[in-house]
Amino acid sequence: MSERLLGLLRGRPARTLLLAVLLCLPPFYLDAFWLRIGLFSMAAAIGAVGLSLLSGTAGQLSLGHAFFLAIGAYGYSYLASDPGPGLPPALAACCAVLLAGAAGGLFSPVAGRVKGIYLGIATLALVFLGHHVLLTWDSVTGGFNGRSVPPLTLGGFTFAASDPELVVLGVPFGAEERLWYLGLALFAFTWFTAGGLLRGRPGRALAALRDSETAAAVMGVDVARHRAAAFVVSSMYAGLAGVLLALAFRRVVPDYFSLALSIDYLAMIVIGGLGSVAGATAGAVFVTALPLLMTRYADQLPLVTAPGSAEGSLGPTEAARYLYGAAIVLVLLYAPDGLHGLARRARARLARRRTPSGGRNPEASASATSAPSSASPSSPAEPAAAAPRSKEHTP
Amino acid sequence: MNDRTRKAPPVLQVRDVTVRFAGLTALDAVSFTVASGSLHAVIGPNGAGKSTCFNVLSGLTRPASGTVTLGERDLTRLAPHRIAALGVARTFQNIVTTHGTVADNLMLGRHARSRAGFAASALRLPGAVREQRAHLARAREIAELTGLGPHFDSPVHLLSYGDRKRVELARALCLEPRVLLLDEPVAGMNAAERARTAAVIGTLRAELGLSIVLVEHDMGLVMRLADEVTVLDFGRTIAHGTPDEVRRDPQVLRAYLGTGTEEEGAA
Amino acid sequence: MTGFLDNVLNGLALGAVYALVALGFVVMFKASGVLNFAHGSVLLLGGYLIAVLHDDLGFAGALALAVLSTAALAGALDRFLLQRAGQDEQAAHIQTIATIGIDILIFTDLARRIGGDLLSLGDPWGDAVTELGPVTVADSRLAAIAVSTVVIAAVFALFRFTPWGLSLRAAAEDLEAAALMGVRLRRVRALAWCLAGGLAALAAVFLAAFPAPGLERTTGQIALHAFPAAILGGLASPVGALAGSLLIGLTEALVVGYESDLHVLGDGFGEVAPYAVMLLVLLVRPTGLFGAKGAARV
Repeated sequence: MSERLLGLLRGRPARTLLLAVLLCLPPFYLDAFWLRIGLFSMAAAIGAVGLSLLSGTAGQLSLGHAFFLAIGAYGYSYLASDPGPGLPPALAACCAVLLAGAAGGLFSPVAGRVKGIYLGIATLALVFLGHHVLLTWDSVTGGFNGRSVPPLTLGGFTFAASDPELVVLGVPFGAEERLWYLGLALFAFTWFTAGGLLRGRPGRALAALRDSETAAAVMGVDVARHRAAAFVVSSMYAGLAGVLLALAFRRVVPDYFSLALSIDYLAMIVIGGLGSVAGATAGAVFVTALPLLMTRYADQLPLVTAPGSAEGSLGPTEAARYLYGAAIVLVLLYAPDGLHGLARRARARLARRRTPSGGRNPEASASATSAPSSASPSSPAEPAAAAPRSKEHTP
Repeated sequence: MNDRTRKAPPVLQVRDVTVRFAGLTALDAVSFTVASGSLHAVIGPNGAGKSTCFNVLSGLTRPASGTVTLGERDLTRLAPHRIAALGVARTFQNIVTTHGTVADNLMLGRHARSRAGFAASALRLPGAVREQRAHLARAREIAELTGLGPHFDSPVHLLSYGDRKRVELARALCLEPRVLLLDEPVAGMNAAERARTAAVIGTLRAELGLSIVLVEHDMGLVMRLADEVTVLDFGRTIAHGTPDEVRRDPQVLRAYLGTGTEEEGAA
Repeated sequence: MTGFLDNVLNGLALGAVYALVALGFVVMFKASGVLNFAHGSVLLLGGYLIAVLHDDLGFAGALALAVLSTAALAGALDRFLLQRAGQDEQAAHIQTIATIGIDILIFTDLARRIGGDLLSLGDPWGDAVTELGPVTVADSRLAAIAVSTVVIAAVFALFRFTPWGLSLRAAAEDLEAAALMGVRLRRVRALAWCLAGGLAALAAVFLAAFPAPGLERTTGQIALHAFPAAILGGLASPVGALAGSLLIGLTEALVVGYESDLHVLGDGFGEVAPYAVMLLVLLVRPTGLFGAKGAARV
């Protein structure tokens, strides 16, 4: 093969294409269990990207993500249901996302005024109040038992098992198979738009907000507006994730949208690496897939007993939670830029080994999908001078 | 895209500005005028209120009374980002850079001059992409102007202190300001870096026609560059005038030295 | 009228217990800038230790041991785990999220041990009640008010009159200056966490006491109710924590007491009323009732 062809094959568009092709294959080879893990992971990734924009890039601690996910999930379920508003499902889905964004916007007066840890707890309030509403507003939410989710139809095509069966290349395509491609499309859309935001003017403004609101303001960033916008955008991604989750679960219940879910998302972006789309995705897959995989392969894991055995023994869910909690602590204290940071550093080390001159230009244009800047928070060991100082003037 | 119109910058007037913090009067009826295109230095011993003054000028602190006007516009109660939009840029004494590369920091400085919103950036509309490219080119120009060319893609935290100070300056320049507020631009630098920075500041004034307000302790720099000097002590203006006039003013000498008759030499 | 007095007394008792927890939050925040999300689990651990030990050591003995254990654990978590990430403000942010991970670890373990059981703590007042004029009050509630008052007064005295208290206030005001003045930041911080841990065990006693059926694995989540209390009082103000706790306790008790009249808000609104109140307060005073404007830890 010629040099040019090889070069082309190694280039970014080629890699992306290859990845896209690979991602289209699973429905043909994997069973529903794996496809569902994939679906949940994709939905989680969309939500995690949203939270990453808010907490990782803009630096606003939010424990309220579950609330906006719920709006997306329940919003779609209610709007598309018949009896009920009976909107065409695609429209219902869009409305649900917009509704979630609007909720984020409604919260923005609080977000604009309340800062830091106070904001974190205020968002906690959202989750609890939201959960309460889900439990009590029976007519819309179905109360404690939740409600079923109408399947999505797009131009006559239904994303659910149909009768007669749809067979593609010899493989029967049920709900999971069809939803897989929807998930991929939505995920790709998320990746594209979030990347655009992070790399562009809004992303820089949000990052500046995190590092120093004063510097950002002085450079012309309308702080209050951007803090509000961060919430709106992140809520819209959460709403989208909620819709996909609802479609994948086919049923929504209030107890799912709890503080634990918000914490899950926080864990995803922490473990994956704050402030990058790739990191959020990696974290989402880790947090989503781990407990499900451990449950499935419980008997093959040392120390772990099968689910449902004697109380007090280490079941797979508990084992997964231990790992999960430990991962959060270890990552934060020892590798604060998460999996993504680790990957980036590993790649930099490999690159340095390949170029013996080892120039002083670290990979500013690193991976294809992360924000161009090392937008993750500085590791604790970084020289004090680089960290933004709290005092910005001598009296 | 060069919008450095040679229109003279408007006059910056500070009139009777008073700032109080929990009982302490940080600034007491401070007034001075920065003539168009001039370099005005604000000096004074530590605690005199110089940085507070800057915070008022850039909108970070609201004065209890008094006004700040830029030409016809009243800046006194404007939010910092609006003041920036009007063309007033400042640097900070303790460097406040964001994470990322020099390019990232400079591009933040272009925020006020660019327009791409959330939707346009998310959807990567061609207008937004083009705008970004143009601003990146401009940022690179400004980096060259301030000697940061070779470091354009380097992470800021890897640079030397002097270089990081220059990033502060370059970022402020990226705003294409008409008035530049420099808060101790040479603090902590060695002699060579000081000379280089002084030269850059001189060039900025000469070539870009900016008005510059300078807070500095380095007397040599002030005397060499300033057209006019305002001296603060305990929040009050104690002297005004050209560097020579101020240097001989007995009040100033007393404020700095207490009793001595010799002037304080350059640091 | 008795109904109202009943509710008020309940509210005071609840507020008193929340105060023990909220004060812990505030002390830890003041000392380290970290909001400890693992506090609820530490509280549960305290209760669990008492439940397991009171048969052998008697209530007092079990209580003492539990308080010492939770104090030690909290201090150790701060000193040997969290402090590794540094002392500055950004580190505090990271450490706060880390406490979420710690919470998951501790809670998973305790949940495994407790399972679905209801554990008795063997407290001396049991389910006795006392008649106070027109009102009948559970002894446990009276004990809660009495003990909390004494303990909280002691903590305030600690702040005011001991060198440690002074160091803590100095460090909260200006970290660098305090260090330069010779304050041993690490130790001051760790001790603050110890204090908070000890208070948590004490709070567990009253949270599991009558009329609650006993200690269960969800008891720790009551700590979450103290969040609004600490926040709306202003996270760095011990007085604020007290005020906030009383306000939250009273709100909760009154809402639960008059639930039938407040039906429109949905059943169980009492549980979330504290959060609604907190949001309202934050809208008006973004750093809490007693929080300093624009300051994180002063």
